[in-house]
Amino acid sequence: MRSRSREFDSSTLNESVQNTIMRDLKAVGKKFMHVLYPRKSNTLLRDWDLWGPLILCVTLALMLQRGSVDSEKDGGPQFAEVFVIVWFGAVTITLNSKLLGGNISFFQSLCVLGYCILPLTVAMLICRLVLLAEPGPINFMVRLFVVIVMFAWSIVASTAFLADSQPPNRKALAVYPVFLFYFVISWMILTFTPQ
Amino acid sequence: MLPQDSNDDAEDVSLFDAEEETVSRSTRSKIRHPVASFFHLFFRVSAIIVYLLCELLSSSFIACMVTIILLLSCDFWAVKNVTGRLMVGLRWWNHIDEDGKSHWVFESRKATSQENKSVSEAESRIFWLGLIACPVLWVIFAFSALFSFRVKWLAVVIMGVVLQGANLYGYIRCKVGSRKNLTSMATSYLGKQFLRQNTGDDQTS
Repeated sequence: MRSRSREFDSSTLNESVQNTIMRDLKAVGKKFMHVLYPRKSNTLLRDWDLWGPLILCVTLALMLQRGSVDSEKDGGPQFAEVFVIVWFGAVTITLNSKLLGGNISFFQSLCVLGYCILPLTVAMLICRLVLLAEPGPINFMVRLFVVIVMFAWSIVASTAFLADSQPPNRKALAVYPVFLFYFVISWMILTFTPQ
Repeated sequence: MLPQDSNDDAEDVSLFDAEEETVSRSTRSKIRHPVASFFHLFFRVSAIIVYLLCELLSSSFIACMVTIILLLSCDFWAVKNVTGRLMVGLRWWNHIDEDGKSHWVFESRKATSQENKSVSEAESRIFWLGLIACPVLWVIFAFSALFSFRVKWLAVVIMGVVLQGANLYGYIRCKVGSRKNLTSMATSYLGKQFLRQNTGDDQTS
């Protein structure tokens, strides 16, 4: 493919800064689109980057704060908690899949897992909006429904990319940690209540 | 007339070329990309400053943490994609081929005869100084956060160590890859320093 073969010549050494920025931004945007419309696509995995996961992680951690941001005892530990859970969880899943003999590289797997947090970040946004309304069972049911739909979307998107890298009899073993990972994040989102 | 700079192997030292030598030496010590040099140091140093002064600047831990994370990410991207290319002509990246195997590619600009593409010494010094000093500082911060039990900062500090250490490692491999191997480079560097000191002593005595 043209976009990858250009790396072989040293023209990228002399390209302008604007070209570099636009190239990276387009790559990140393309990956977000691939998560929203998951399809089996090998070409996406080749150009991995971790910018999307970083943006999503920071956004999610910011939205999961309890209490006001300006107070003395602000949600410091919670912010770091979300960060640690997301990245440590992603690293653990990657190690697990590599130990099971998957032929996906470390950073590719981190990339896929990070980008597939996008539906859950959208769910968090929706939940925060819904929580502005009257608390009650209907409120809870709406949030539950949204979180379940987005959780399913995340799982479908990530298995579309990750499952192919495993031999057939190991697919379930590789996929269930992904299930757990997104389950924990969904749980944090569902049980979130602003003070 | 002894050669002052033993790096210039390709330049003749003769009476007629003395003027050209001083002119080329001054262009080599000029900074050709002031904006890139500024940003190379700006993001790293401001991340460190924000980390050290977080208590004074803002009472919000989260604001500080997000700011440091943003600065570290911008610094990583800028150093990896822009300042390395412009200032020292090196670049490294990861490439995944058809079989799904990942290759790390370390590229350095080949020494051409074009004058305007050669590496300026002042920029090279700024680049390597910034590249080496900051990860060392973050490692020191990591130990201090660990031992003084300020564990909530550990996530940020580890991120700093990882991102800046990755750039340092990548560029050292680019640099070493363009020479034969690390030990011969180290011995030749030490040999040159030794020679330079001795010829300097001879001239002043």
